[in-house]
Amino acid sequence: MADSKNKEKFLEIADIKKGFGEGETRQEVLQGVNFSADKGEICVLLGPSGSGKSTLLNIIGGIDNADSGVISIDGDSLAEMNEAALTQYRRRHLGYVFQLYNLIPNLNVKENIEVGAYLSDAPLDMEELLDVLGLSEHRHKLPNQLSGGQQQRVSIGRAIVKNPDILLCDEPTGALDYNTSKEILKLIEDVNKKYNNTVVIVTHNEAIKDMADHVIRLRDGAVRHDDYNTEKISATELDW
Amino acid sequence: MGAAKKSSIGNPLRTRVLRELISEWKKYIVIFIFLTLMIGFISGMYVANNSLLAAAERVKSAQMREDGHFVLKDKADDDLFEDIEEGDKVNVRAYYVYDAYDEIDADDIREAYASGDYRENLQRLYDEADRKAHEDYENAVGDYDLDDPYFRPVPVRLFENFRKDTDEDIDGDGTRDSGIRVFINRDNINIPYIMEGKLAETEDEIAIDRMHANNQDIMVGDRITVGGAEFTVSGLVALPNYSTLHEDSTDSMFDALTFDVAMATKEGWDRINSDEVYEYAWLYEETPADVRNEKRVSDNFLKALITQAAFADNEIEDFVPEYANAAIQFAPDDFGADRAMGGVILNILVVVLAFIFGVTESNTIAKEAPVIGTMRASGYTRRELTINYLEPPVIVTLLGATAGNILGYTFFKNVVSAMYFNSYSLPKFDTVWTSEAFVRTTIIPIIMMLVINWFIIKRKMRFSPLRFLRNDLTNSRRKRSLKLPDFSFIRRFRMRIFLQNIAGYFMLLVGIGFVMVMLAMAVGMPDTLSWYQAHADEMMLADYQLVLTSDRDEDGNKIETVNPDAEKFSMEDLVYDNGGKGETVTAYGMEPGNRYIDIPADMKENEICLSTACAYKYNLEEGDEIRLREKFGYDSFDFRIKKIVEFDSGVSFFTDIDNFNALFDRREDSYNGYFSDSEITDIDDDFVAAVVTSEDIHKMAAQLDHSMGAYMLYFQYLCILLSAVLIFLLTKVIVERNEKSISMVKILGYTDREVAGLYLVTTTIVVIISEVITVFAAKKIMSVLWKLIMSRLDGYFPFVLSPSGMLRMCVLVFFGYLLVMLVDFRRIRRIPMDQALKDME
Repeated sequence: MADSKNKEKFLEIADIKKGFGEGETRQEVLQGVNFSADKGEICVLLGPSGSGKSTLLNIIGGIDNADSGVISIDGDSLAEMNEAALTQYRRRHLGYVFQLYNLIPNLNVKENIEVGAYLSDAPLDMEELLDVLGLSEHRHKLPNQLSGGQQQRVSIGRAIVKNPDILLCDEPTGALDYNTSKEILKLIEDVNKKYNNTVVIVTHNEAIKDMADHVIRLRDGAVRHDDYNTEKISATELDW
Repeated sequence: MGAAKKSSIGNPLRTRVLRELISEWKKYIVIFIFLTLMIGFISGMYVANNSLLAAAERVKSAQMREDGHFVLKDKADDDLFEDIEEGDKVNVRAYYVYDAYDEIDADDIREAYASGDYRENLQRLYDEADRKAHEDYENAVGDYDLDDPYFRPVPVRLFENFRKDTDEDIDGDGTRDSGIRVFINRDNINIPYIMEGKLAETEDEIAIDRMHANNQDIMVGDRITVGGAEFTVSGLVALPNYSTLHEDSTDSMFDALTFDVAMATKEGWDRINSDEVYEYAWLYEETPADVRNEKRVSDNFLKALITQAAFADNEIEDFVPEYANAAIQFAPDDFGADRAMGGVILNILVVVLAFIFGVTESNTIAKEAPVIGTMRASGYTRRELTINYLEPPVIVTLLGATAGNILGYTFFKNVVSAMYFNSYSLPKFDTVWTSEAFVRTTIIPIIMMLVINWFIIKRKMRFSPLRFLRNDLTNSRRKRSLKLPDFSFIRRFRMRIFLQNIAGYFMLLVGIGFVMVMLAMAVGMPDTLSWYQAHADEMMLADYQLVLTSDRDEDGNKIETVNPDAEKFSMEDLVYDNGGKGETVTAYGMEPGNRYIDIPADMKENEICLSTACAYKYNLEEGDEIRLREKFGYDSFDFRIKKIVEFDSGVSFFTDIDNFNALFDRREDSYNGYFSDSEITDIDDDFVAAVVTSEDIHKMAAQLDHSMGAYMLYFQYLCILLSAVLIFLLTKVIVERNEKSISMVKILGYTDREVAGLYLVTTTIVVIISEVITVFAAKKIMSVLWKLIMSRLDGYFPFVLSPSGMLRMCVLVFFGYLLVMLVDFRRIRRIPMDQALKDME
């Protein structure tokens, strides 16, 4: 593992709490989560269903609010941002990859990636990116004409085309088969290496932790383990 | 194992329909309110129309409405009166024999007696008289159609219905405010319906028409001057033979502003300083079964009357059977046309709404595809699910129709009847139940909604359960997306939205087109009237048209003017049998080279120059043939149209005056009057039958403006509302369909303004393009409809929609759209970002 102490603390999460419901039915999903991530590292949030990992990712992504606690990115605190500022925050810093891709069905591959490019003053080169993603020959296809893996590639392309500081991936392989999952994880790894984004991957797949720099285990809304990976392997070597 | 028993559990999908209606209440309430108002208004129209028609039928018998009337130049003596009642032709042969014998000179008879063979001489005299009588009879056979084998006598009951046409001075300033036609109180024919007050009982009382009184703010008890005599208005009445105040049955439009009808006592009538007009009304002894029979019977009656008048040295000045009397027929014809138009508008609207429903239901099906897939996989049939999605539109239509009909029979009936009472002199009426309203406004809309949505939903349901489960409901098997030009990303994005929602946008185009046609009416009608009033002077052939009573005085001297502007004309009213309805075409004979109408010098006898008004109205062109017939005679004439001449305000034709006089068997140099741009002052009033100025043209526009002007403004507001509703329903579908995408782009960092820029600007562009396309189409359609409207009137003026009017139409629709855009922008802002994440949970 790379020496974390030499890295800049890019993403800081301090005592994040979040609950749903009222009165007796209220459930505390996050009960004071703390961790930080460095610039350029791959951080895997690992946990079973209901552990609060997706909720935490949504709060980091600025699409949900924490009840309390602080999230700061590159020194800017999300708590102090109004809706317009949050929009700008997502626009400037974040790329999002979802389990079910969420592509815009009436736009083709290239246009779906352009949805992300439009938001950036200095988007990545489209042709080069299509090559990296292996989508050059599919550029004019609509999402429903693509396989799941291809759709997820488009989704990753859309997220990284604006060269975001943080790439948030919510169960990016949850809907994919084994081989395709490994291809996608390899792609994320390549992107991380090439563009030096901080990557936060939420998953319940234990095997994925092996490709991470930083592994955080969540259970019942709290961080149970926060470890740096000393024996990181390439995504191609993963097995489950 | 026995046969499978049908489950006692009700179809759980039924519960879902109610929940769907509740959860999507905003959409359904908009459609419900819209349907309710529309059906309510149309239902109100049917109810009011049918009730008024029933009242009109009642008037026919209860108030002894005439079967027709005619005017004689002189009062009919007892013999003529009796002959007319018998309805048979005069025994012309006996008349001529009697006449010829009567004309044998007394000296010739004396001479015959004085001569030797007086018998032979007398016989010679009477033979000569017989020969002359026979000759005259042979000539008359053609003139009076005496050998018509289809002629049958038409016995009638005849009533004196004498009148005086004079001036009405309302404000007592000594000047004419209106024309008035005063009849003597009567209780045997055309019995008046008293709307307020009472009939005249003393010589200084008068009962006047209710509609005219309302227009001129005349109240019961007011004093008015009629033909120089002062009267107190004792009551306001509706005369059964004047449901519209047409001064003349050939008038294009009634005139309740400056024409009045009234009744006075005989003594009061005698006080009026005006000539008597010998009008006679008749009732058939045997009522014709239908209009076709009525025409045949009245034709026979006229044939008999022509001989009776001619051989009694009298003249028929006017002959108006009931079916051709605009004052009686205009209102019921208008009811019929309104009903037909209302029915068509409702049908179009229901079709548009049905397609909008179809689009929204398709959208719901797409959203619920995995659920439908699961249901189908569980054993639910396509039919069960189709019915399930069919229920909301049908239920909403049923509820809208029910509420609409309730409003139709209560509120809207009064709204519509108030509109009619604002134009027509109608008696009070009782509401009549009409099955037609129920069928047209309930049964037909439900069937249309059912059929259209059944078709759309069934088509959407054709996919396999697996396709539903996979959310794969696209028809296209294309491997690639449609290639777009190399526009900017945002522009391509908008084009994709357009392509994705093309069916919805097509419905938007149709909907806006529909609104535009209605707006063309609402904006074009005032435009047309304004144009007509502004151009009335230009539309006259000359500023003055002076019609003479005769072109010779008692001594045979020509009645002429020295006015250098004056040009002589001969005139004759002919009839064009256009689809069974005889319409008046005025024929003018004029000198070639005259200053008012350009007639070629080489016109043949059967050649005419047709006015543009006539050509537009009947779709006639140069080179066409047209057959016209005499109004009160038997001859018909075939003409060839040599030229179309610019004259928009008269359904008429022009020909060489010499040809004209020859054609109508007139003296070679005879004429009827003068056209002139300056007033003719050197002709004695005794020889002036009428002076037509642009005021007469203004009258029609003023009446139309009064009857419909205010409603057109409301109509414009209704159109804004209608366009807003249609656009709201369709944009709602578009936004809902893209909720997940909108949510996603928000997550990616698009601002609300940018999202609206993508999804609303596309709609804005479509609305603008639709407006541009449809505003021209609407103008064209309205011009055609206008011709249909004009074909019901005896005159013609063209439909005018100015460029500013067209711009106004676009602005009004766009204003409706702006209202919707605000709602849509709010809707887009409220789409949560977690919408895109829902599938994952």
